[in-house]
Amino acid sequence: MTEKNNTKKRQNRIIFLELLIFVAIILLSARSVELQIFKSSALTQKAEKEYIKYSSIQGKRGQIYDRNMNELSKSINTFSVAAIANQIKNPGKTASRLAAILGINEYYLKKRLSSDKPFVWVQRRVTPNKIKKIKALNLEHIFFKEDTRRYYPNKALAGQILGFTGTDNKGLEGLEYKYNKMLSGQDIRIKTIKDATGKLVDSNGTFANKFSGNSIVLSIDKKIQYIAEHALENVVVKEKAKSGTAIVMVPSTGELLAIAHYPKFNPNYYKGFAPETWRNRAVTDQFEPGSVMKIFAVATALNKGFCSPKSIFYCENGAYQIGNYTINDSHPYGWLTLTQIVKYSSNIGATKISETISKKIFYNSLNDFGFARKTKIDCPGEAFGELRHYSNWSNIDSGAIAFGQGIAVSAIQLITGVSAIANDGILMKPLLVKQIISNTGETVKINGPAPARRVISSSTAKKVTMMMQEVVSKNGTGMNAFIKGYSVCGKTGTAQVANKNSKGYSEDKFTAVFTGFAPSKNPELAILVVVDEPKINHYGGVVAAPVFRNILVESLNYLGIPPDFNTSQMVADISAKGRQ
Amino acid sequence: MAQLNKSLIRPLHPIFSEKAIFFSVLLLAGLGIIMVYSASSGISMRNFNNNFHYLQKQALFCLISLGVLVFTASFPYRFLRPLSYIIFLTSIGLLIAVLIPSINIEAGGAHRWISLGSITFQPAEFAKLALIIFLSYSLSKKQEMINNYSVGFLPHLIIYGIFFSLILIQPDFGSVIILGLITWGMMFIAGVPILHLLSPVPFLIPILYFAVYKVSYRMERIFAFIDPWKDPYDTGYQITHSLKAFGAGGLFGKGIGLSMEKLHYLPEPHTDFIFSIIGEELGLIGVLSVFLLYSIILIRGAKIARTSDNVFGSMVATGLTISLALQVIINTGVALGILPTKGLTLPFLSYGGTSLLINMAAMGILINIGASVKDD
Repeated sequence: MTEKNNTKKRQNRIIFLELLIFVAIILLSARSVELQIFKSSALTQKAEKEYIKYSSIQGKRGQIYDRNMNELSKSINTFSVAAIANQIKNPGKTASRLAAILGINEYYLKKRLSSDKPFVWVQRRVTPNKIKKIKALNLEHIFFKEDTRRYYPNKALAGQILGFTGTDNKGLEGLEYKYNKMLSGQDIRIKTIKDATGKLVDSNGTFANKFSGNSIVLSIDKKIQYIAEHALENVVVKEKAKSGTAIVMVPSTGELLAIAHYPKFNPNYYKGFAPETWRNRAVTDQFEPGSVMKIFAVATALNKGFCSPKSIFYCENGAYQIGNYTINDSHPYGWLTLTQIVKYSSNIGATKISETISKKIFYNSLNDFGFARKTKIDCPGEAFGELRHYSNWSNIDSGAIAFGQGIAVSAIQLITGVSAIANDGILMKPLLVKQIISNTGETVKINGPAPARRVISSSTAKKVTMMMQEVVSKNGTGMNAFIKGYSVCGKTGTAQVANKNSKGYSEDKFTAVFTGFAPSKNPELAILVVVDEPKINHYGGVVAAPVFRNILVESLNYLGIPPDFNTSQMVADISAKGRQ
Repeated sequence: MAQLNKSLIRPLHPIFSEKAIFFSVLLLAGLGIIMVYSASSGISMRNFNNNFHYLQKQALFCLISLGVLVFTASFPYRFLRPLSYIIFLTSIGLLIAVLIPSINIEAGGAHRWISLGSITFQPAEFAKLALIIFLSYSLSKKQEMINNYSVGFLPHLIIYGIFFSLILIQPDFGSVIILGLITWGMMFIAGVPILHLLSPVPFLIPILYFAVYKVSYRMERIFAFIDPWKDPYDTGYQITHSLKAFGAGGLFGKGIGLSMEKLHYLPEPHTDFIFSIIGEELGLIGVLSVFLLYSIILIRGAKIARTSDNVFGSMVATGLTISLALQVIINTGVALGILPTKGLTLPFLSYGGTSLLINMAAMGILINIGASVKDD
């Protein structure tokens, strides 16, 4: 009886137990539904936050080429070293081993590695050799990130034109800065999936070509750039000058073949150079040009028909009084023709010429030649130059400006103006960036030659050209620029440097200038050489003209431009003129 | 007539009369092998430089365990009754052996494994089976006097006390709790009065107070499951990652092999938290299927316990069902964040030879009891 009762009781209790189990499993299932249906998206988000990381990288930056598609600036693949700092067990040891290979400060590295951040840079853009060494150490929680680095294969060549990029591959100076948007690769958001140890499980990003930036093609000719830089370096060193600038331009198109600066600057290691060497000073800096301005005064006077090359002016035997000022010539002259004024570079002559034209006409003409206005060259920080409005000119200003005082110009303005004379009177916009090409090699944009305006008539241009050829002939101030076999045109300039802190001009600081073009009939090259504060000699004709000559002769040879002129013909010309 | 029919279609082997249990176990064990591989390959690679380390071992365990299941299913359960003392003493012997430093393995400050050459064994797993058999023997023997406190309750309390002490030294709180719940559950089914069962409660309160409440870290650990997000990097670490696994799995799961939490985020993905990985890779569908398979076994187990006219057999079936139910409920409850964390394996699914072997042996015994119900 008890046994039967017990069995019944047991069976009932088992049913109760079954119910308990059933309820428990229902509860657990309900909880699963809650987590996997109702809380699924919130929990998924929380989970993904841990293993899915988004980071942004940039596609490869485009290249900068010279006119012959030589690479001047390129991006090379490198690796950057990074660390999961909050997981590094022994930051001191890791830091000392890494610092030894990378040659960086161990103390600061240890500090970075000791932080509780999940991601810190150890060193950006490390050379492949060092990467290999670090990989061999097999350090935990140290990983490598694909990166690109800007590299200038020609070192300092054209450094100031190109500029440089900063740590994040962003252009900071020069064309790298000006064309940053064009050159920059696209920002790519990459999704990486990592396990809890930081090991990469999956990633959808690579440095695919399609994310690269555009490339730009310059008008610069690597070889001529080298010629100009080399010649400039020689003269600055020889004359113990402060600095120098040289520009080579094609007058008919405005294309710049070279913009050379000295001291040099290597954008690969920009931090090792003084910031003032980074600038493209040919564009950003202005100076008083001295006597080279005479050609613009003469061109203006001729163009208005106020005089002809044979018009004669009395040069006051070297001293000309205007109000309280006296204008001097370095050599006293009596009567000179317009041509002779240019040839011998008489300040008094130039003043007299300027007296034949009104201030307004002179000012407007200079403005047409591109002074006191931007050339709109593709470089950052272009200088405006300095030329007061004619309404503010005093009696002496017109004359002073005619021989290059009281006016400041940038080198690029000056060469552009000279090129207008060489280009039959038509001023071309300076052309530096010729073409933009996409990462697939397709042309995005072509910048062709752009005539800005006609400044002087064709016949005036020819007359000025003839006078400038006289400058480079026997007894001319620019005879050091003479090249046998070529008709070279030029003009010297020797400007006293204006005092920075007081009125007036320095007694011992000069700017030696020479500018010109060749061949005279069909000018292929226009060149400007500016040497700042030479200490040994200071005349433009002595310091700058030989540099002009060197650049010109080597460039003519390199470009294969045939001689157009024989010496006997020149001698005949000169003797013919002598008989006049 | 009915009896005649039954004996006429009597199956060749007891397994065929309990197909539901057998095939559920088979499916779970098969899923176990797949999930152990999926969950462990990362850890396996890191620890052994071989993706397949845990897979190979689990597959081998599974094969051996299936052999054991077939054996225990064929072994008439009635013979377990005379063997219960030997089984009990063997278990006690093993639990003492695990405390001897030269033959045990220390892991995480606990001594839970006996090492015999390359084979390791967890005596606490065997203790479950031994306790069930011995209690069944004792409770069935004392049916007449079950209402007597010193006959129906006290001796069983002492039996549990022996296991309790020996396992607590290891220490293995999870097993202590499971064994306790098995003991009380079996006494309850056997007819021990409820009041007797509740009689130790006044003594339990001070013990809990000193062992748990006073030790603050234990408190924090135990109650972390209530709000795991409060401290997701320390006490809530495992639970929050387990919850994320379930949530990320959603309805259909990410697919086999695609769990992210197993990649060193969720600790013990192939043992204690394999259910979370199932949730992540197979989704709610997988989770509910697993519950369904366990439910089939548990319902059959309870039915066998109810229908067996042999008290010993009924008690063994009860104990085995309770034991399986507790393991499943506690393990999945922990993974789902509704029970405090305890290091317990999920039967048939978690990696681990001893657990698999003992649970398979238990299922074999259950099948044998079930088959004999149909015999009678």
